[in-house]
Amino acid sequence: MAEIIRGKRTMSSAARLRQLIGKILIYMILVSWAVVAVVPFVWMLSTSLKSSAEAQGVRFFPTELHFENYVNAWEEADFAEYFTNSFQITLITLAGQLTFSVLAAYGFARIRFPGRDLIFGVLLSTMMIPAMVLIIPNFLTVTWLGRIGPIKWINNWPALTVPFMGNVFSIFLLRQFFAQVPDELFDAAQIDGAGHLRFLWKVVLPLAKAPLMVIVVLSFIGSWNALAWPMLVTNSPEWRPIAVGLLAFVDEAGQRFEMMMAGATITMVPIMILYFITQKQFTESIARSGLKG
Amino acid sequence: MTRSVHSQHRELKDERLPLGSRFGVLRLRRVREYLTGYLMVAPAVILIFIFGIFPVGFALYVSLQKWRLKRGDFLGLKNFAGAIGNLAYVAAFALGIAAIVVAILLVIRLRKEMRENKDKAWWLVAIGLLHAAMIGSFARWFVLLLPEVLDIADKIIGVEKTRELFNRLLGEAFRAENVLPAFYIFLLTLGLSIAGYVLSTRAWRNPRNIPYQARFALSWLAVGLGILLIVFTASQVISAYTAALDTGEDPGIWPQIITISSGILLLIAAWFVWRSAQDADSSRGFWLKILSAFALLVGGWLLIGEVPVILAAGDDDLWMGLKATIFYSAGTVPFQLGIALFLAVMLFQKLRGSELFRMMYFLTYVTPTVASAAVFRQLFSSRQSSLINQILKVFGMERQFWLQEPSGVFTMIGESLGISVPEWAAGPSLALVVIMIFSIWVYVGYDTVIYLAGLGNISTELIEAAEIDGAGRWAIFRNVIFPLLSPTTYFLSLMAIIGTFKAFQHIWVLRNELALRTSDTFSVTIFVEFFDKVRYGYASALAFVLLAIIVTLTIINNRVQGSRVFYG
Repeated sequence: MAEIIRGKRTMSSAARLRQLIGKILIYMILVSWAVVAVVPFVWMLSTSLKSSAEAQGVRFFPTELHFENYVNAWEEADFAEYFTNSFQITLITLAGQLTFSVLAAYGFARIRFPGRDLIFGVLLSTMMIPAMVLIIPNFLTVTWLGRIGPIKWINNWPALTVPFMGNVFSIFLLRQFFAQVPDELFDAAQIDGAGHLRFLWKVVLPLAKAPLMVIVVLSFIGSWNALAWPMLVTNSPEWRPIAVGLLAFVDEAGQRFEMMMAGATITMVPIMILYFITQKQFTESIARSGLKG
Repeated sequence: MTRSVHSQHRELKDERLPLGSRFGVLRLRRVREYLTGYLMVAPAVILIFIFGIFPVGFALYVSLQKWRLKRGDFLGLKNFAGAIGNLAYVAAFALGIAAIVVAILLVIRLRKEMRENKDKAWWLVAIGLLHAAMIGSFARWFVLLLPEVLDIADKIIGVEKTRELFNRLLGEAFRAENVLPAFYIFLLTLGLSIAGYVLSTRAWRNPRNIPYQARFALSWLAVGLGILLIVFTASQVISAYTAALDTGEDPGIWPQIITISSGILLLIAAWFVWRSAQDADSSRGFWLKILSAFALLVGGWLLIGEVPVILAAGDDDLWMGLKATIFYSAGTVPFQLGIALFLAVMLFQKLRGSELFRMMYFLTYVTPTVASAAVFRQLFSSRQSSLINQILKVFGMERQFWLQEPSGVFTMIGESLGISVPEWAAGPSLALVVIMIFSIWVYVGYDTVIYLAGLGNISTELIEAAEIDGAGRWAIFRNVIFPLLSPTTYFLSLMAIIGTFKAFQHIWVLRNELALRTSDTFSVTIFVEFFDKVRYGYASALAFVLLAIIVTLTIINNRVQGSRVFYG
């Protein structure tokens, strides 16, 4: 009897030990990837705070902190202008994209008209087309529009925003959501004398905050990351967005690594803030779309 | 048949009469509903058409011309031939034949359906032809009009831009001598098609009428497109052939086309025979399988023998880009998925702090690409004092040039071991390897989050049941978790493989002149042709090759998805 109990006890402590070792092992694995993931950021921050001479050297951490690098980079590289440009581009794109997507999604989800499913299917199939195929003809179209029309397109907001106002993914996302709104709500609204637009504005949109937020987040990331298209359609800092501006700065900064890293940090800050504020939403949006160039 | 429908219809009408006014209101309301729908989707649909659908046709148009900044001569398939050699002609032929096959399949299916429904509506073939003619003549008019409208921008240069001037020029474009007749033909076919539609719907009131018509029109369109493509390609081949004879080269086009086509046909035949072998009884199935294996061997041998020769005649840059893309795919997708799956399973143990880890992992994906790529550019810089070179020094290794190193990694490893590696086994350049490392670093976070979501969907009961049956951790993972995750794995690898063909931003930031373009993947090659070399026509042709690759990958994947992925 005693032996059995003793045996059991040693068994359980052995199992507990094994469990503990397993836990430690898991933590070691998790920590090692965390180190891989985070070290570049730490290195970026530490380099951005070094003096010019130290940034060339081999020390990982700076001996004294040079916060003025940020001020210098900000002023020298026109980051203020790039920031406002990117924000403006995001806002204009978002205004158009939200309006058009909400209307279209509602039309596709809740109104029956001939050819509806065909049109929606054609729209969905365009999601497969790689951006590289569209970039050349769109550049020609935009140039043409700018040359014949009253407003400039190249090096101005229309070329940077208008092509992104019709977004299939956001229409798709909203349509899925709108289709779930129960019909009874609409019948009730109709009895109260509300048409489609009023129903959309008063009932559907207040319910759709989550997918709308997803679109806002994605659109913000998209404008912040955009590189190839803005490189084509801007040729001066006047409308250059942040990614293009940072690349130009990094290419021109020569050997001043501390400045480059300060610039990279500055570029990351708004996205990081957005990420930490809306973490769950943010992760979900990106995971759902899988869009990133 | 028509008479009975008519009399039925009259009866219905008689019933309706007293309620006529009410039906009028209902109808009006329905039309208003339609209009609301169209108006609501219109802005987005128009924008997506202009910047997402029309460009595909426009790119095709550009790819057929010599186009450097401005439109030049019509080149036909020469841009494609310049890129992928005579494979361009084979592909065009194959597409033409495929279009005709699609049309035939459509008609066969239609016939089956008609039989099932006992419809005698073969006369709709003619109506379908009218519709197809209408669409075709519209396309013709549009293609003729397009250059005239594009030229307006050139005529406006240096003149004051006014609305009147633009309207006048637009009017001139519409009235140009080859555009106007095309427009009249379009109007004529439009009238015929509308008349045909109205008459046919009057003659046979049936909900199946319109779908039948539409599908007949589609088959006609496919046939027309196929014939057009074949004739066009043939004329292109002949002109290329005579051009080659004139310069005294060995043209060799026809033998190549025949070899390649028969190789492809044999492969397709092998696939069909293999499929039918699965249904057949064992002894016949055995022989069929032997036959298909034989066809596969011969077809594959023909292709392996001929395709490299053809591609060697094509563009070196494209070939290098393709090679880099394949290396990049093979070097990133398995690693990033493997690491991510491993980390996700670890994170799923619900340990303290797993939220924090997840957040840190996702950080690499969230960061703006240009910024993180700029950091990697410094980490992997060729300087003696760069972080990675310092780490190498700790391990007693030599400093490397990383992003500036064009030689293949296997060659370099071989050199350090004193073995000489043949050129074909050089592997990706070290510069490309750094880009792969960056890519893995970025995407592991994303893949982990998706895998975690997939793990969350697995019911714990299954795992508990396996535990009760005495399965160990590895057995549970191997036999329960991994198969149940196969849809996630499938989705992620599909996205990742297509992503490698689309990859642009980080490669653009990380590419270095000194790496001699060894790190340029397919998309980057296209962008360089377009942006640096200003060869719009040729770049568009390359972009179309990319589109073809992506569409093929998607189709193959859709086939595989049906058979290999386990959806629990």
